[in-house]
Amino acid sequence: MNLKFNFKRALSIAKKEQFHIMRDPFTLTMATILPVLLVLIFGLAIEFNVKDIGLTVHDSDRTFSSRKLVEVFSSSQYFNINPSRGSIIDAISDLDSERSKASLIIEPEFEHNLLASGNTKAQFLLDGADNSTAGVILGYLGGIQKAANFKLTGTLVKEPIELKTRYLFNPELSSPWFIVPGLAVVVIAILSILLTALTVAREWENGSMELLLSTPVQPLEIIIGKLIPYTVIGLAAVLLVVLVAILGFGIPFAGNIILFGVGSLIFLIACLAQGMLISVLIRTQQLSMQIAMVTGLLPSLLLSGFIFPLESMPKFFQNFTSILPSKWFMIISRGIFLKGADLSDLKLPFIGLFILSSILIITATKKFKKDLEP
Amino acid sequence: MTNIPVNAVDVSNLTVKFGDFIAVKNISFSVEKGEIFGFLGANGAGKTTTIRVLCGLLLPTSGKVKVSDVTYDQGIEAIKAKVGYMSQKFTLYNDLSIQENFAFTASLRKIPSDTLKRRTKELLDFIGFSKPMNTLVRDLPGGIKQQVSLAASILHDPEIIFLDEPTAGVTPVARARFWALIKQLAKDGKTIFVTTHYMDEAEQCGRIALMRTGEIIALDGPENLKKTTFPDPIIELNPKGTIPSELIEQLRNNKAVDSIDSYGMKYHLIMKDSQEWNRLSIEIAPFFVIRQIPPSLEDVFIRLVEGVTR
Ligand SMILES: Nc1ncnc2c1ncn2[C@@H]1O[C@H](COP(=O)(O)OP(=O)(O)OP(=O)(O)O)[C@@H](O)[C@H]1O
Ligand SMILES: [Mg+2]
Repeated sequence: MNLKFNFKRALSIAKKEQFHIMRDPFTLTMATILPVLLVLIFGLAIEFNVKDIGLTVHDSDRTFSSRKLVEVFSSSQYFNINPSRGSIIDAISDLDSERSKASLIIEPEFEHNLLASGNTKAQFLLDGADNSTAGVILGYLGGIQKAANFKLTGTLVKEPIELKTRYLFNPELSSPWFIVPGLAVVVIAILSILLTALTVAREWENGSMELLLSTPVQPLEIIIGKLIPYTVIGLAAVLLVVLVAILGFGIPFAGNIILFGVGSLIFLIACLAQGMLISVLIRTQQLSMQIAMVTGLLPSLLLSGFIFPLESMPKFFQNFTSILPSKWFMIISRGIFLKGADLSDLKLPFIGLFILSSILIITATKKFKKDLEP
Repeated sequence: MTNIPVNAVDVSNLTVKFGDFIAVKNISFSVEKGEIFGFLGANGAGKTTTIRVLCGLLLPTSGKVKVSDVTYDQGIEAIKAKVGYMSQKFTLYNDLSIQENFAFTASLRKIPSDTLKRRTKELLDFIGFSKPMNTLVRDLPGGIKQQVSLAASILHDPEIIFLDEPTAGVTPVARARFWALIKQLAKDGKTIFVTTHYMDEAEQCGRIALMRTGEIIALDGPENLKKTTFPDPIIELNPKGTIPSELIEQLRNNKAVDSIDSYGMKYHLIMKDSQEWNRLSIEIAPFFVIRQIPPSLEDVFIRLVEGVTR
């Protein structure tokens, strides 16, 4: 059966689909406006600079180095230092009483460790309950860490200070750095599921399916042909999000861009296949679109970890989200973007995503084949 | 090419089921090469289903089908290559130009570009199309759309052309024009298999198959169909004025009368017995202008297809 696959015919389908896309105001608008709109909506929410954040500092070291570290925070213009009233408990009770949003705890060996091993630690406590502020604060930390490293050692090469953050109330909180890479997930999901959900249904509704059927074109050729242009649109949207993240929000791209591209592509294919499957099953544009909206938007926004951390969900939901491609790509996207994770760190998400993509595309093709073959 | 008279279509004991529903029941017929073969039947009779089988879009549940010397054993691709199919639905892409529609169909059928160029010119000349090739299909009037759709369905120059209600919803002028094209194609040696709901179109077919609930209930040329269905002439009753309301009912129950049906303001009556009728006709002469008329295909259709269900 695959022997009959003819790439030229698939390309003809792709070309025809491209005409539809270029001439359909809805598709064009969706493809261009949607990513921009999403980036704007979430981006603007991020860009509000939070200043004068109350920071309780408990400095048990009281050395030159520890004071330098505090100075980095205070000179950043973001933080208002509330000196600890003597007890380390203040560092936490201030958070509870909302006197401060964050606490910095410097242990007595701070300078000693730095001088002895060139490596030292400080603790930063953050009130994660207020999601948006916490996110912004977290965003500042990266920069502050760099500044501190520089101030304390005069070099940028090594990273002698480790700023390990523990979130007291919201372990996986969202930050601008978390949101923007997550946007890639949402944009791909909505755009590709929605657009492909229309394409097969359109052929059924218009009657042009009879035309396709009366020619020797194979179901797989139709599927592949239809996927090509939407893959291009999807990748362009991802590229847009990445550029906005790097240029617009100054988020450094930590990992391998090729790996990120591969991950995006697999996820994109999963979403396209999902849309295709909806279209094949439903056969009417209106209903397909509604189902695509619900099954595209809700999981990628709510169940992927984009807005609500998966860890704080009931166990059942956590397990359930594993069948959602968006969960896996969320991990991949944030991992590569923010932590510079490589393939070995992301084995599980990549395998999960790959399996889900395969299942979706095989199901869609099979169902479509069954419908088309007499 | 030798001139052995082979049939363009051979169907024997074809049955098509959708689940438990039998859409086509054990039909057999043949279509000769170069014939214009008409398919008539009420909605849901199974015309489209039969055509889709013959075009390789639907597998027969049972029975044998041979189209242009190709059977299902040789694969549906072989059948698809031999036939042109203009679906009951409008299948061209409205948002593509005529050029793009043609090129798309051609590429799916792997028609080389020089052949496409030649065929496009031939066919557009054939249908007398004069607008620019980059006109969007959406912007064409209905009648022209149907003609362009016909042209697109025969780009690959098939021997048999299946037209499923090709003139539905277009103006009478456009219908006449379309039928001129059909006749021209037949004259050029193509076999035409056409379904229609219009009797005037059916009259132009070489032979007609009448379908009812999945079965072929009559198959012959238009004139023969009329003769066999109505051995006796049809009597037209044209009311002279208002007629007593129970009169028609009385006539219907009269032993001289086989049936009486209203045709607009008039009535068509079929007699059972000519002697009895002669007597009866004198009796009702004050109420009607009575004359004998040749049966039309519509009479045949009503009698065979609809009459039985009464
Ligand atoms: N895919 C299908 N599944 C189930 N039933 C079907 C299918 N296709 C057709 N039918 C049924 O088979 C019967 C015959 O349909 P068909 O389309 O062949 O009729 P037709 O003679 O072409 O009617 P029309 O004049 O309305 O086009 C109808 O009752 C229809 O509902
Ligand atoms: Mg039909």
